[in-house]
Amino acid sequence: MRTLVWASLRSYSRRYVAAALAIATGVAFVVVTGLLASSARNGLAAGVEAPYASADSVVAQPGVDVAHRMMAEAGDRATPMAFVQQPVGTDGRQLGEEISVGSVSTVPTLRWQDLDDGRWPRGAGEALVDTEAAADQHVAVGDVLTVGSRPTAVEVRVVGTASSPSTLDGSPLYLTWPDLARFGDQVSVTAVALLGEAPALPEGVEAVPPDRFVNNLLTEINNEVDAVAMMVLLFAGVALFVAVLVIANTFAILFAQRRHDFALLRCLGATPGQIRGSVRVESLLLGVGGSLVGVLGGAGLGLALIAGVRSAFASAPLGAADLSPVWATGAFIAGLLTTMAAAWYPTRQVLRVSPLAALRPDDSASARTTAGRVRVALGIVLVTGGLAVLGWSIAATRTPLMAAGGTVCFLGVLTLGPVLVPPLIAMVGRVAGRALGVPGRIAAANAVRNPRRTAATTAALLVGVTLTAAVLTGLQSTRDSLASEMDTEHPIDLALTGATPLPQDLPDRLESVDGVAEAVAVHGTVGRIADTEVTLLAPEHVDGVVRDALAPAPGTIALPYLLLQDAPDTVTVSVAGRHADLRVTRGAGWGTAALVAPATLADLGGRSAPYAVWVGAEDGADAGSLASDVSAVAGAPTLEVVDGFSRRAWVDLQLDVLAWASVGLLGVGIVIALVGIANTLGLSVLERTRENALLRALGLTRSELRRMLGFEGLLLALVATAMGTVLGIGFAWVGLQVMVEPAVRSAPLSLPWLPLGAALGVAMLAGLLAAVLPARRAARVTPAAGLTLD
Amino acid sequence: MPPSTPTDTPPENRSTAMPAARARGLSKTYGRGETAVHALREVDLEIPAGRFTAVMGASGSGKSTLMHCLAGLDRPTAGEVTVAGTTLTGLDDDRLTRFRRDRLGFVFQAFNLLPMLTAGQNILLPLELAGRRIDPAARSRAAEIAEILGIERRLGHRPAELSGGQQQRVAIARALITEPDLIFADEPTGNLDSGSSAEVLAHLRSTVRELGRTVVMVTHEDSAAAYADHVVLMSDGRVAAGVGV
Repeated sequence: MRTLVWASLRSYSRRYVAAALAIATGVAFVVVTGLLASSARNGLAAGVEAPYASADSVVAQPGVDVAHRMMAEAGDRATPMAFVQQPVGTDGRQLGEEISVGSVSTVPTLRWQDLDDGRWPRGAGEALVDTEAAADQHVAVGDVLTVGSRPTAVEVRVVGTASSPSTLDGSPLYLTWPDLARFGDQVSVTAVALLGEAPALPEGVEAVPPDRFVNNLLTEINNEVDAVAMMVLLFAGVALFVAVLVIANTFAILFAQRRHDFALLRCLGATPGQIRGSVRVESLLLGVGGSLVGVLGGAGLGLALIAGVRSAFASAPLGAADLSPVWATGAFIAGLLTTMAAAWYPTRQVLRVSPLAALRPDDSASARTTAGRVRVALGIVLVTGGLAVLGWSIAATRTPLMAAGGTVCFLGVLTLGPVLVPPLIAMVGRVAGRALGVPGRIAAANAVRNPRRTAATTAALLVGVTLTAAVLTGLQSTRDSLASEMDTEHPIDLALTGATPLPQDLPDRLESVDGVAEAVAVHGTVGRIADTEVTLLAPEHVDGVVRDALAPAPGTIALPYLLLQDAPDTVTVSVAGRHADLRVTRGAGWGTAALVAPATLADLGGRSAPYAVWVGAEDGADAGSLASDVSAVAGAPTLEVVDGFSRRAWVDLQLDVLAWASVGLLGVGIVIALVGIANTLGLSVLERTRENALLRALGLTRSELRRMLGFEGLLLALVATAMGTVLGIGFAWVGLQVMVEPAVRSAPLSLPWLPLGAALGVAMLAGLLAAVLPARRAARVTPAAGLTLD
Repeated sequence: MPPSTPTDTPPENRSTAMPAARARGLSKTYGRGETAVHALREVDLEIPAGRFTAVMGASGSGKSTLMHCLAGLDRPTAGEVTVAGTTLTGLDDDRLTRFRRDRLGFVFQAFNLLPMLTAGQNILLPLELAGRRIDPAARSRAAEIAEILGIERRLGHRPAELSGGQQQRVAIARALITEPDLIFADEPTGNLDSGSSAEVLAHLRSTVRELGRTVVMVTHEDSAAAYADHVVLMSDGRVAAGVGV
């Protein structure tokens, strides 16, 4: 049989190209994931041991209080590895809303940064700046930085610049412990490095040798990278599943076309076992070839991708990429198993061919395979069962149940495909085909000639489109649900509050800043609550710049969550000798001032002056630069700036990144499905050479023939996309009920029309494109050649 | 339909001065150099209008190639073909296609019909391809032709549900629907038993005798050629003999 296998592969190799491409793409996906994971792991782990190189012991996760105590007892031989996120400004311009501030030791042997310029900080009031960050932000040795917001802000002088050997512990700015400690509970202490004996430690906190601590850190990094890699592998799994559908369909079509060959072999005395063997070897070779190409191509693509990212973003934590043999072998075996599994069912069909079939005329092109009753029953059971589990998952708000129910339900839809898809295509084809005349009608008829083939072709695309539509709809709905919460949390785009009255012309000056839509002065005065000096603001005419009602009722005072946390329900506010008892409400988003009603402010008397300016941003203003542009114009370094706009933008960005990353990763599966459509069309064209020649003889022009095939591709893509979009929206609704609804007040379904429409357009265009090559090949054949073909 | 007398036939088909099709120095060569196959070698030929012409020859004699070149289904390597007053040589593919659609009819040996269309839809297909409206007149014409060919009860069936003879009669009906100048039949009885063959050949002859069409039939069977008015014998890519009956 070896001669036969090689001869088959030689003569049919071109028909296997698409299947090989599908396998290779899926395998390459896995390999690229592996490379990126190893690169990220190496990048994150780079220099992780540096801060602990000369320590004798390390106390892990001690908490701020313990760190305080340790520093008090052994400050001359200990350094906390501590971080805090704070706004940082210099000379009236804000460098960033949330800049990571790390720690630098005052103990010479425990300093782990590499000093590039200047000297080491000796204590409070002195800071070290990352050399690259300093260059980016135009900060130099000698500059004074303001770290933190007004009441707790600390001023430090830059005395040196340094680079971090450790990716994990590197920060743009380093302060000594006394300055860092001023941020209290906001500081997180990951470890304290010690020289010599550890002091007495409370229960549950212990000192470990540095190498053990570093090993634990490495394990943590590995686990985190692995968790992300596993998420991405889920998408690779989707791509491989789509590949299974495409390959199975390819085999089914190829075997149908070769029915005669197999029957003739049977006539000549081949046993079913021999034929099964030869077909198995063919699929094995295809799997080996496709997987090899996938591993090599994936390795090349992954390395190129990492090199590209590193050259574009110098700070990206990507290290050397190494493809572990386990990962490469795993990807290879996954590809091989995918192919073998996909070939299994079509191979069984081949063996049913009786020797007599060789003597009967070929009717594979017009074969009308009908969906059996078993299939319909199975499909209905799966769909109903899946829906029941989905309902249960909503009641129990359990995500794993939802995933299981969704999968079962979707498999049911795929099983029912041969019954569902052709009538849909016929319906759309009748309507749309009218516009295209005969080519359109024939295309619609051709598209549903073999219901199972049609269903299998669309199924591959259905998988990707359903998931994409679900992700897009789910995230759009989540975004809308979060919007009202965000309005409450960040009611003002930019709130600038001064310790002293602000210039009268400030709002006008701010309105000339790029990206500012409106700036309104908020009048107020300075009062006292108990012993604390508090700026009292009475917002008036601010509807244009606030997203949520920020109008305290007379007799109440709105305090930020973080101000006077121990205050009773009613506080006495004094302004220049007058007093008022006000009921306390809490909120956030306008800074550290207190809000009162204008009437309350009037009752308290006092000189009212503009103490704050609230700014509304234009839609689409640059979230990264708005705050610093506005602070630069405002010009006062003592101004407190609350940047709600960039926080909103940050949340939006997170959702965008999530949505487009998912769509991008699902895109691989969609590309494989489109290769599948092109493949089915191409193979069908080969089958229909005679028919197409007949149509050409009867007067179908070349361009009409091309249009006919294009329309067939378009129909397949259109129906698959429409079905997938509807299914995806349904799944998104379930997902909202299970995952989002419990966390927010309400999660109504909101449809992202633009992206969904774009997806439909892209799919239709891709369906057309998938028909280009087959159509060109079909149109090249002269009628005479097509008619005389055996 | 009453039997037509010769005077009923359109004048252009009766003209003996102008042939329905003419080939001059027609050659077709496949391949190059030593492996070149000369399917046609400088064939000169005239197909008389209003007659039933059979092109005969053994397998490989070039008779199918001749028909393909005459019908504009293939391009000759050299020479000139004129059909119904139009010179096909030099027409681009679209014009050639439209010419076939409007002026010619075809009956092939097998795979004559589109499997997904019914017999009735297959018959009307050439009109639809030509973008003509399927009006009641066209429908009644199709019904009339179907009745003549004895397939009026099979119009709603798909090709797979028809016998071989019925399929060929549907193909003849389809060839007649556009009232073509010339009908080409390529081994129309190749797959049929002798009874069905006789019926199909009789129908082809009556399209000439009674409807005044011109038919060119390629065949290798003497019994089929016997129905023709005129026989062209092909051998080795050349016309060996022309026999008027």
